[in-house]
Amino acid sequence: MPGLYAAQGIRKSYGTVQVLKGVSLDLKPGRMVTIMGENGAGKSTLFKILAGQVPPSGGTLSLDGAPLALASPSAAHARGIYLVPQEPALLPELSVAETMFVGALPTRRGPLGRVDWTAMRARARAALDALELPIAVDRPARTLSIAQQQQVECAKALLRGCRIILFDEPTSPLTSHEVEHLFSIIRRLRADGCTLSFISHRMDEVLEISDEVAVLRDGLLVDVVDRPSFDRTRLLSQMVGRPMKAVPRRSVSNARDEVALEVRGLSDGARFHDVGFSLRRGEVLGLAGLVGAGRTEIAETVFGIRPAAAGEVRLGGETVTGLDCHAMIRKGLVYVPEDRARHGAVLPMTITENVTSGLLERVRRRAGLLSARDETRISASAVRDFRVRCAGLDQTLRELSGGNQQKVVFAKWMTTGPRVAILDEPTRGVDVGAKEEIYEMIDAMARDGMALLVISSESEELVRLCDRILSVYEGRIVAELSGAGITPAAVARSYLTAAAPSGGVAA
Amino acid sequence: MDMRAPANANAVTPRNRRRLPVGGWELALTGLLAAVVVGFGAAAPGFYTGPASLLGLTENFLPFGLVALGLSLVILTGGIDLSVGAVASLSAVLAAQLWSRFGVDIWAAAAVGVALGGVLGLVNAGVILRLGIEPLIATLGTSFLYGSAAVAAAGAEPPSGFPGGFTALGTGTVDGVLPASLAGLVPIQLVVFAAFAVLFSALVARSPFGRVLVMVGYSPDAARYSGIRTGRVLVTAYAVSGAMASLAGLVLASYYDAVRPDMGDVLLLTAITMVVLGGVSIFGGEGTVAGVVVSVLVLGFLRQGMLIAGFSDMVTTMLTGAILLASIAVKNLFNRRGTGLANQIWAMIRRPEPPRANPS
Amino acid sequence: MSAAAARSPAASRPSWRERRELVLVAVTAASAGVVGLVNPGFLTFENLRFVALNSVVLSIVALGQTLVIAMRGIDLSVAPLMGLSAMVCGLLAQSHGLPLWGAVGIALALGLALGTLNGVLVAALNIPPIITTLGTYSLFGGLTFLYSDGTQVDQVPPAYAAFGNAGPLGLPVPTPVLVLVLVTAACWFALNHSRFGRAVLAVGNNAAAAYNAGLRVTAIRIQVYALSGLLACFSGLVFVCYTGSATVTTGTGDHVELQSIAVALVGGTLIAGGRANVVGTVLASLFLSTVLTALVFLQVPPIWYSAGEGLMILVAVRGGTRRAGGTA
Repeated sequence: MPGLYAAQGIRKSYGTVQVLKGVSLDLKPGRMVTIMGENGAGKSTLFKILAGQVPPSGGTLSLDGAPLALASPSAAHARGIYLVPQEPALLPELSVAETMFVGALPTRRGPLGRVDWTAMRARARAALDALELPIAVDRPARTLSIAQQQQVECAKALLRGCRIILFDEPTSPLTSHEVEHLFSIIRRLRADGCTLSFISHRMDEVLEISDEVAVLRDGLLVDVVDRPSFDRTRLLSQMVGRPMKAVPRRSVSNARDEVALEVRGLSDGARFHDVGFSLRRGEVLGLAGLVGAGRTEIAETVFGIRPAAAGEVRLGGETVTGLDCHAMIRKGLVYVPEDRARHGAVLPMTITENVTSGLLERVRRRAGLLSARDETRISASAVRDFRVRCAGLDQTLRELSGGNQQKVVFAKWMTTGPRVAILDEPTRGVDVGAKEEIYEMIDAMARDGMALLVISSESEELVRLCDRILSVYEGRIVAELSGAGITPAAVARSYLTAAAPSGGVAA
Repeated sequence: MDMRAPANANAVTPRNRRRLPVGGWELALTGLLAAVVVGFGAAAPGFYTGPASLLGLTENFLPFGLVALGLSLVILTGGIDLSVGAVASLSAVLAAQLWSRFGVDIWAAAAVGVALGGVLGLVNAGVILRLGIEPLIATLGTSFLYGSAAVAAAGAEPPSGFPGGFTALGTGTVDGVLPASLAGLVPIQLVVFAAFAVLFSALVARSPFGRVLVMVGYSPDAARYSGIRTGRVLVTAYAVSGAMASLAGLVLASYYDAVRPDMGDVLLLTAITMVVLGGVSIFGGEGTVAGVVVSVLVLGFLRQGMLIAGFSDMVTTMLTGAILLASIAVKNLFNRRGTGLANQIWAMIRRPEPPRANPS
Repeated sequence: MSAAAARSPAASRPSWRERRELVLVAVTAASAGVVGLVNPGFLTFENLRFVALNSVVLSIVALGQTLVIAMRGIDLSVAPLMGLSAMVCGLLAQSHGLPLWGAVGIALALGLALGTLNGVLVAALNIPPIITTLGTYSLFGGLTFLYSDGTQVDQVPPAYAAFGNAGPLGLPVPTPVLVLVLVTAACWFALNHSRFGRAVLAVGNNAAAAYNAGLRVTAIRIQVYALSGLLACFSGLVFVCYTGSATVTTGTGDHVELQSIAVALVGGTLIAGGRANVVGTVLASLFLSTVLTALVFLQVPPIWYSAGEGLMILVAVRGGTRRAGGTA
């Protein structure tokens, strides 16, 4: 069967930084090869080279034995190679059908070269049907969810006759339902003989779907494992280059009696309704749920960046409903957002500037100007306390790894001395090692008496961190878990049963 | 990366090389400034006839610099203010009318003019924030509203012939305060500009306002999530831009000893060119006031040099346009780390890169 | 911010665009009717012909502007380009007896060349469109000034005047109106039914995605700016034909750049790009022409015209975002 796509000694440098140092990899028809590795290991770069988006600095590609040079993504499409990006780029004003055909619109015969809309719709419909995707082809693309956008991308790949399909971390924005759906599509493609590869951080998924796992570390391929010899611990230690210890569930709760945050009957009138909970000092409270269940919206409303339609928020006994986030921060409530690059940090600014930006008032003034010495002092101690690996305080965040960026964002907020912190997906896009460090920091903050609300889509993470977990489904709290009841399976079950028609809780 | 050296993390003393107010771009501009001044001094007779004449030349272009300073705040936020020319005209015309028709003291009228400029800037910000219209379109629209108002306010015979004290603002020199040897040498305009240049430089580089301004410019969303009231930052930036434009209009009025409803129109293009050539990114966030100040001098002396060398005003305007385009083009060619979709696409177009001989 | 608002789901109602055109027709007819009641001279055939001819020049420029905005760009240099073409063609005709077909060729070539310059600066050198066209605005304006050398056009050969005012083959409809119909049809077809037009919209929606889909984004951008230049210069020729005059301030004096942006937006093209309405643009410029002529009939002082246009642009953009956003 054709479709053997091989990379030989692929190298890539950006300036003086070597991202890939000679990677050789074979992708075979009918097999799913997963690329694992820490952030910065070079996974995405490898995929971009395979898909013609970035030229390699060295090495060769070959397709079924013939050497291949890809000048552009469209050249890759022409050779049957398709990269499904993590969050597909939308053409918001165009119809679903047209987005599938962009760049290759079918035309009618005749001198005018008129676009054949009828044929386009029919072929788009057929491609979606082949994957059993019930998406209307005339919908404007902006109305699709991320999962649907990925599904449309899969159909698009098939439509263009691409049989080598690469998925760049497809599952991280998806809910577990959607992941299952994606995997069923992937299985179908695999059975059909397509050559498949994907990037993932989630071990369970990897073990479930892969035929082969390739581990990248520091731009080198350190291990390729076949399905029969899959081993969680081996893969993890290969990724980080040192043995991993098993992740235990925390046994001691730091929760005190004093209530730090109380939310009653909170609604935004659209995404969530009648949400109520209380959070004590030293307590770590988890919000579990599907992506899109309204957890981020709840957090942002409590933080004051979104307006509330009804309800009350009390911070340490004081009613703070309706204050904006500027005031909330000064009352001692901070929010570490989910999207670090867009909301959490300003990547082109320096570590120091980012750290002090959470509460600029704390920097001493001289003649109304910020004291550079005082800023450096604050930033240096933050970098030390939060174990940020950097070459200097004046490095821009763009130059740091995802994990270190996240530590800077933590430092930015935690050094303001908050009473309550809301952490939204605190380890998204963070590599395994830094993840554990962040967990330890969260534990330490709870020990110090800070009240923490953690939103996470990874059940293991919530289990690892939380004293208590609230399960959110369609904007309502549907279950509460605590103590020994907290297990990954129980967490997942708590909102999945609500999602099931028989659950009956959601109404 | 993270994992390999956790033990060393605390051993490293992170350096904090403070961001210098001047970088490579500013130095390059300074070199260019020297070249322009020396070049015209050698090639154009009449360009340099002594220190007084050289300093006196600045009176012809410093109003542009005042506009550029205010505009640079707006551009640092990632916005643009196309109404500065119309604001300068309207404020100057209204101040002059206050003085001539209503007998208001000229300095009081000028103060009202500057305040009015601030208000017009507030209106711009209101249109942008309240109506959710992009700065480009919003200020394009208001510039025509303000321009019409200036024409209407000017009437058939706009006032002229201001009191001597006021005309000194545009054409006088600082005497008495400075050592006697400098008497008649330093234009009042230059002192005003220098004061604002220092003020704006400190404001952008080290004040809390400047910090949030830059933050909003780089990432309005991240600024908002950091508890920064971004609306207030933008309102301030546009108001300052309006006030500085008005000040420039009044200096022009003083310089010409007259007002015209279209007197500010020439300011816009040159002021934008000064800001952009000065190294401020049109996408926001990046840039320094020092760079803008040097580029004001570069463009100003260039323009005066060309006029003295006998080129027409239209030709120098064309050249300003060409310099604007060339400066960004050159910057884009040599420095591709800016933000924005355009750069992303640029990076794609630049493919294929020359393969690197890099044995690993 | 308006871009984000414009992309919320509420914008999906397809009826919106049809309604926009109906609204424009109704508003234009209503304002003409009202002015006609006040001053019956407004509704004479001669005047209506003038209104229509007036809108043709703007419409042709605005169609180019519509394409540019649909691609998420902007072209301020259309005004001096229109003036440059009017001046070059008019002066050559006036003093050298250039035949009409030669003038057409020169206008088109000039527009293509200078429009391509805009395109190269924007697409290949990555200079933001607003800055690029602000810069070329003064460049092209300077060219007009240098070329005119203090002269102006006040008389054109009969062939030009006939082309600008009379109908072909004795038809009562002036040739420029027929030309506009053709150009509009071509633009409509291109945007709605040709690969090129759909590519333009794809670039306006998301240039990076369009590139990844294999579209030659740089080339498309350059072509659209070239088209905009071409149409601007062609409208300059039409202008000099039907008015018989051109000065250094033709185009820039009337702020054609602002007017063309205003009518494109009023016509239903999104300032954020990705969606365009060709017919709406033409109807909106007919509306603007009606209103401007009506102001003359109502004896409103001309100094307020540009204020009106400024207001119109703000209202149009505002209307566009609200209708599309559905939230604010």
